[in-house]
Amino acid sequence: MTKMFSRSSFSAGSLALLVAASACGDSSTAPGGETEIISRVTLTLTAPGGAVQTVYVDDADGNGPTAPSAQVGTLTLARGVTYTGAVKFENRLVNPIVDITTEVRAEANQHRVFYTVTPTGVTLTTTDLDSQNRPLGTTFTKAVAATAAPGAGTVRVLLCHYDSAVKVGTATSCAGETDINILFAATIAN
Amino acid sequence: MQPHSSRFNCASFYVCVLLASPSGVAALAAAPLHAQTAPHGPERHVHGIVEDSVTGRAIEQADVIVEIAPTTRTAAGATFRKRTDDHGRFDFLDLPATIVTIRVRAIGYVQDVRTLDLTSSDRLITVHLIAATNMLQEIAVRADTLAERLGRVMATSTLNAAALSKTRGQTLGETIKNLPGVALIQFGPSIAKPVIRGLNSQRVLVMNAGMKQEDQQWGTEHAPNIDSFDASSVTVVRGAATVLYGADAIGGVVRVDQAAVPDTGRLHGDVAINLFSNSRQGALSMGAEGGQLRLPVVGTTGFRVRFTSRAAGNGAAPDYYLSNTGFRELNGSATLGVARSWGTADVRLSRFGTELGVLRQAHVGNAEDLQRAMTTEPTDSAFSYGIGRPNQRVEHTTLRVRTTFALPRENSVEVVYGLQYNHRREYDNHGPLRFRNEPAFNLKLFSNSLDVRWTHPRWNGLRGTVGTSALAQGNQTLGKAFLIPGYDLWQTALYAQEELVFGRVSVNAGLRGDVISQTTIAYADLGIRSAAGTRSWKNGSGSLGVAYVLADGLDVSVRAARAWRPPTVNERYAQGVHHGTAQYELGDATLQSERSMGLETTLRFRRPSLHVDAAAYSNTIGGFIYLQPTQPVLTIRGAFPGYRYTQTSARLRGLELSSSWTPAQHLEITTNGTLVRGTDRTHGGPLFDMPADRVTVAARVTGSRAHLGSWFVGAGSQMVRRQDGVPAGTVYTLPTAGYALMQLEAGSTNVVLGSHHVDISLSVNNALDTRYRDYLSRYRLFVNDAGRDVVARLTMPF
Repeated sequence: MTKMFSRSSFSAGSLALLVAASACGDSSTAPGGETEIISRVTLTLTAPGGAVQTVYVDDADGNGPTAPSAQVGTLTLARGVTYTGAVKFENRLVNPIVDITTEVRAEANQHRVFYTVTPTGVTLTTTDLDSQNRPLGTTFTKAVAATAAPGAGTVRVLLCHYDSAVKVGTATSCAGETDINILFAATIAN
Repeated sequence: MQPHSSRFNCASFYVCVLLASPSGVAALAAAPLHAQTAPHGPERHVHGIVEDSVTGRAIEQADVIVEIAPTTRTAAGATFRKRTDDHGRFDFLDLPATIVTIRVRAIGYVQDVRTLDLTSSDRLITVHLIAATNMLQEIAVRADTLAERLGRVMATSTLNAAALSKTRGQTLGETIKNLPGVALIQFGPSIAKPVIRGLNSQRVLVMNAGMKQEDQQWGTEHAPNIDSFDASSVTVVRGAATVLYGADAIGGVVRVDQAAVPDTGRLHGDVAINLFSNSRQGALSMGAEGGQLRLPVVGTTGFRVRFTSRAAGNGAAPDYYLSNTGFRELNGSATLGVARSWGTADVRLSRFGTELGVLRQAHVGNAEDLQRAMTTEPTDSAFSYGIGRPNQRVEHTTLRVRTTFALPRENSVEVVYGLQYNHRREYDNHGPLRFRNEPAFNLKLFSNSLDVRWTHPRWNGLRGTVGTSALAQGNQTLGKAFLIPGYDLWQTALYAQEELVFGRVSVNAGLRGDVISQTTIAYADLGIRSAAGTRSWKNGSGSLGVAYVLADGLDVSVRAARAWRPPTVNERYAQGVHHGTAQYELGDATLQSERSMGLETTLRFRRPSLHVDAAAYSNTIGGFIYLQPTQPVLTIRGAFPGYRYTQTSARLRGLELSSSWTPAQHLEITTNGTLVRGTDRTHGGPLFDMPADRVTVAARVTGSRAHLGSWFVGAGSQMVRRQDGVPAGTVYTLPTAGYALMQLEAGSTNVVLGSHHVDISLSVNNALDTRYRDYLSRYRLFVNDAGRDVVARLTMPF
């Protein structure tokens, strides 16, 4: 047989490459996760006298398909009272728990919280601002008029994120991407 | 080697008939099979065909000399000489009924000498000539004759180097989109996924440089990571070609091939520049090759290198720019090859790198955001080369080592080892700024493949290949968000593809058995439902096709094929929002494999001024996997339309017609039509995302002139009919309107520019700047498709 380029060592080499290279295919799933997942939204309302009411909704599987939990806690609001309120966003799926609200405040220019309240007679006004004096919305006041109809009411919390869309001071609804969209129940007492 | 029997009697005549294998369609049709004709007086008839022993191609203009030796009865001998025609055929009438010697000679081949005994009957013979030089290149070609033989029973279309340089588009998909049976799923001008007969992604196998492309092709927005300049031909095979290529070829194959590295010749190459006005793209590609590189130890080596770079900005629809749809590409490849007496060997290293922007409007939060994005006219309408979030970065690196051994008696063995590394990173807009530089998806795919193919010598007219194929693949899922789990995949297969030709009939049969095993790794995060586990599948696929030469220039074929495909990791374990459509997709780990049973028929008609190719098919796929709408998924982000991967019984049927007519010497009129009908047999109604019916008509005038070279001018129209096959479960209103686009082209090859010869071509796509939205476009909910694109291509060989 005429001289070959080491046929046997060539095929041995190929086999060795195959075995060696499959080692660099060590598959793994790094538990990176989406660390900015918001898994709980908490609303806190403080009456002028100091009484605090807290409600929250949990999404225990983060971005998974299980629907968020029902609201935990109740909000009972008296007519003719103006409450001060705050919203808190947390990621409780990691240890230690991450308070996302501080990040939202740190990036205030890219975020805004919108609130929609029912029934008529209830007004919610956000109080905090970002660095360009546009509303942010992590703190607010909620005024329940004396003439507001008693019974069931709602508070919809919308956390909006602006990256490509421009955050405008006078917007009434989200024009960016929605990070949170949760409906809370708040009863108006008689 | 042809058996040189000195006594050609009845028995060996049948052997000759069996060995006759027409490579050209009309080859044997004009040489009617006179089996054992009764001897008619002292005059004998010898006719036959001369072919290349390796490729089976007919050899035209070969010298065939019949010599009759002087005998005691005839004082002098006699010599008759003829040349084979365009189909390699020759014909001698009026030969004496005696023993004659036939010599067949052709340039580049070893002379064939044989004796024929004409005393009792006429003879029909086939002469297989062996190439004298380039024996080794032929052997390298031999492995690719698989595709050629398959082409007799399957519908295939090929773009050769000349066609590629005239029609090369912004992406590989755009380059082949006018071939029959092909549609595209596009994400703007920068991402194009080929759709063959209604099937795409993991049902269309893409091959590059003889290796199956492993570039996470399961994603609809993951376009093939191939440098379209680094190709000497692109072939589209329509229909199930799973026996030769593996389970992914259930819908078809797109093969990107490079010519063999030269083994002789000085350094030469080319520089190509392509400019596209729509996205203000510039592409530059430089390649060089030669056959006389001297390396230590190895000796004389052939080599080829290529380097390509592209830069494009935002695409433009007729009224606005498609924001954030620019892209970049940086690719390179180098091949070294040797040709020796024992065979050939080559090593190829390539790298493909791209960064692409994703249409900003398409990247939405929840269903309400989607509604807003669909109804708002694009406002961010400015041109920019910048690529912002969301964007993707992909690198695909390959190493291929290929050896072909030329063994005695026309055996050849080919061994191909491939190593591929695909790294895909996708960046999105979400999350706090400190995470913005980390990819949302970060997927690394390592694939090792080993293919061994044995092409056995012709045995009683049977010609074919037996091979094994093995794949070891591992995936790492890193990155902030979950898309698919990490997994290991092992695949082995054994297959045989044989062809038997007798007279006008050729039978092509193939059988393949695969074992596939998939091991997934649990994702350590709450709420992600991916279980760890191993699943394996064993199945067989096969095909049987018959081609029949009806008449000179007309042949038909019928083929039945059984194919299967296991569910991919994303179909089993996907979980999360697909941002471009606000769809929440859920996989199903219990999915079974798809099984298809297809019947197809092709017809080929060839005359000097008219070529017609027609194909019809019906493919029933049991367990067809697709995304079915389910109830909305509620998360803290809001509501998303829910979709679940599920299976149904589907049927795909279609028709393809393409023709080329030359009514006058320099005028060519081409037409191309494709029809696809996909039906959900279980629920009734159409399948989701089937391409609409389309017809392309074009006319081209050619000529040539001293310094202008061979020029051409043409115009054409692509007409797409309204898509009325939209399934009931579709959540959003999809664009179904039909449209027509006009195309113009002009150019010339071999134009003299100073001391150089260059090829120039100019195309105008969507010449009338028509506003349209293709049904398959993935930006169809947000923006129109691209407007006018003026393309200039210049290729300068050196």
